[in-house]
Amino acid sequence: MKNRPLVAVLQFPGSNCEYETASVVRDSGMDAAIFRWNQWKELSDSAPDAFILPGGFSFQDRVRAGAVAAKEEIMDLVFNEAQSGKPVLGICNGAQILVESGLVPGWENGRIESALAANHIHGRSGYLSRWLFLRVNARALRVSPWLGMIGNSAIPVPIAHAEGRFVFAEKDNHRVSECMALTYCDENGVEISDYPVNPNGSFMNLAGIMNKEGNILAMMPHPERAFWMWQIPPWIPGAWGDRRTSLNHDPALAASSGPGALFFRSLADYFELISREDV
Amino acid sequence: MTDISIVVRLKAPDPAAMTALSTLKRINPGICPGMLERYDYWQFIRPLDGKKTVEKIVSHFHDIVNPNKQSWRFTGGSGSIHSGGEELIWTEVLVTDKVDSISENWTDILRRNRYEVEKVMYSVLWRLGYPSGTSLTEARERTLALTVTSYRDQGLLANPVSQNINLLDQV
Repeated sequence: MKNRPLVAVLQFPGSNCEYETASVVRDSGMDAAIFRWNQWKELSDSAPDAFILPGGFSFQDRVRAGAVAAKEEIMDLVFNEAQSGKPVLGICNGAQILVESGLVPGWENGRIESALAANHIHGRSGYLSRWLFLRVNARALRVSPWLGMIGNSAIPVPIAHAEGRFVFAEKDNHRVSECMALTYCDENGVEISDYPVNPNGSFMNLAGIMNKEGNILAMMPHPERAFWMWQIPPWIPGAWGDRRTSLNHDPALAASSGPGALFFRSLADYFELISREDV
Repeated sequence: MTDISIVVRLKAPDPAAMTALSTLKRINPGICPGMLERYDYWQFIRPLDGKKTVEKIVSHFHDIVNPNKQSWRFTGGSGSIHSGGEELIWTEVLVTDKVDSISENWTDILRRNRYEVEKVMYSVLWRLGYPSGTSLTEARERTLALTVTSYRDQGLLANPVSQNINLLDQV
């Protein structure tokens, strides 16, 4: 590994969150570089330590969100590196790509075992953009390099998607708990399967799923949009909202970290642990 | 009252179909069709006045057919819905979301606007045209293989976890 771990942020035609994602990676103490979907060789040569597939509308969501990008040659490399244990994070459209790649839940290597279907819950369907709360599954907290610093309490993070409803084949529903990483909850951490706590009808309130090893995480909410405290709306209920409100008119607000930073700092912390073990 | 279906296509080349064909050529070159077409497929269940009711709906709601950029026709009639490729062996596959809010919302909209239709169902129709030497059986087998996304390098047009796949005899 280099002095600072390198995180590759992949840019497909239609990605639109790559710059802010790379920026928050750097603000978390790691290096970040953006690679276009056709820079297979450059990506391979730079040997990144982790990969992020950012949000957006890769290939204009043609055919199905994430379906075309999942078949791109550059995803062969991501697929192989993910199988070797390197951390991979898919955010929103990136999560859709990981699902369509068969990287998550990954019960059988490369098999498509889940879908991010159109939002559909009693009282709401279609595109939805709003803040909501997440909590981390206990096992995911232990095994995922993306989640270690988040802890047990609920954190506010925004969503913005039309196809974010995790579904699985009926025969697989009994094993979904193995891949649970993030679930929608209220500000007290209570999971409620109705709208608005569950914004899209996602099975078991899932906001994010991972592979068995935990190194691959596909999540619909956008942690990069909650990286700084000033990005959090003051009206958000709970401890994070209180903290945000207390910083109103305080110059410290500009440099205070928000809940989304915990995802990226978990990764930095994970690399720090690895480098200490290497020594 | 019988059910009435229409197909809607872009007047210009469909970018989704072009991207899908290009992707299929790369991942499944051996069984890829020569032509691929994509249509919106609307099924109107038990419209009171049959085709007349559907014509009224289509002319009123430009979200179903935007006449500036789309053309449409009833299914089952004479005449081709595709332009060119008459020498090809064509197969049709219908892809429908298992839980479909588009259909639910349109059923509600038509009900609120007092159109006498029991239900509306929205699907995407893909038409795949193979070289003339291909048997229909082989063409249908290829179409299923290209439609059902089972692995990252197998299939594209539908994710069977969330979508129903219906290989049609003829549109």
